[in-house]
Amino acid sequence: MDDVLVAYGQNGEALRPQQGYPIRLLVPGWEGINNVKWLRRIKLVNEPYMGMWESTKYPSLRTDGLSRWFQFEMGPRSVITRPSGGQKLSGPGFYEISGLAWSGGGVIRNVEVSVDAGRTWKEAEIQGPVNPKAHTRFGFAWDWNGEETALHSRCTDERGDTQPTPAELAKFWRVEPEFFRTTGTIPGHFNAIQPWKINRDGSVQNALVL
Amino acid sequence: MRWSFNCFAPVVALAVYGAVLAQTPDYKNVGRAPTEQEVQAMDIAIGTDGKELPPGSGRAKEGAKIFKAKCEVCHGANLEGSQMAPALVGGKGTLTSLHPKLTVGSYWPFSTTIFDYIRRAMPRYQEGSLSADEVYSLVAFVLYRNEIVKEEDVIDAKTLPKIQMPNRNGFIPQKLDEIHDPKKRGCRLGHCP
Repeated sequence: MDDVLVAYGQNGEALRPQQGYPIRLLVPGWEGINNVKWLRRIKLVNEPYMGMWESTKYPSLRTDGLSRWFQFEMGPRSVITRPSGGQKLSGPGFYEISGLAWSGGGVIRNVEVSVDAGRTWKEAEIQGPVNPKAHTRFGFAWDWNGEETALHSRCTDERGDTQPTPAELAKFWRVEPEFFRTTGTIPGHFNAIQPWKINRDGSVQNALVL
Repeated sequence: MRWSFNCFAPVVALAVYGAVLAQTPDYKNVGRAPTEQEVQAMDIAIGTDGKELPPGSGRAKEGAKIFKAKCEVCHGANLEGSQMAPALVGGKGTLTSLHPKLTVGSYWPFSTTIFDYIRRAMPRYQEGSLSADEVYSLVAFVLYRNEIVKEEDVIDAKTLPKIQMPNRNGFIPQKLDEIHDPKKRGCRLGHCP
């Protein structure tokens, strides 16, 4: 919370209306709702104010009946953008895996990639620029042998928080380890490892859900 | 600095909301300082201790009449809700089910929020038209129909903040002063259990 901006311009021009002209809040690392557009006023208060949205819509109801609220920060997350779902590999051979990592906790310290569905992990190359709470590009050289597999990536931020597996995340939500995959439910602040299944014909599929 | 901020009061956001002034080099002669009344009209948030609650009072009986005239058309004669507005009663015991029904009675943690929201946002298209007494009466009516207060109870700035909502302890962390501290909350991996 040491880097909040009241912003009036972007890329050398005034904010555009759809981005909050004339002034907006920018709260790096926090979920979108905190980044108030068309800012009218700021009021400092000494405790959280429980408006209808804050107290009844933004909280996340767990399956045990308890709700987590004030979930502001975005956790460490990464995703491989190439190859990814819907794309197709032309055949066995060399590929440069590429993806993005980010965290509301600060700078991305490292990214690991698994080309065998999470069994073994190797360090990916951070390609920069590396800025706190910003997308960070990573790359990984991969020689595909033509067999079926899945590609995973996971990042760690400067606090040492590592992107969770879906099963680790399920613990926070008090649900079964396979809950997200089997139900297709993706809750807010979902930052689990994104698996891309590589089929033998080179097609790439989202393996996060059934 | 290319951008000038003198006279750049919040009311500017209202006055030129949505206007495209990309060619305008600065904000000189745009807007003015808001008047005390204009600030007051916007400054209507009610905290959980209710210290901003206005004078006035109401009871469920009066609230029922106002509800019939101004709210029932969307929220339903029995507060059961419709396609246009959510139910205001029911849902007890559904929070752990596959289809939880979140209402004032089953979910809302703070009574003061009801006042804040009705005054700020209801009735739709006539927001801000209700007097303080009318809002207190509607709050009393909704609380009464959720069996949280009695029909004859008087709801005002003193009584409202003291009302314990049924689901007040259904949120984590329960203490509002722990919300600020991710360590106290045991946050990990970007998640706070």
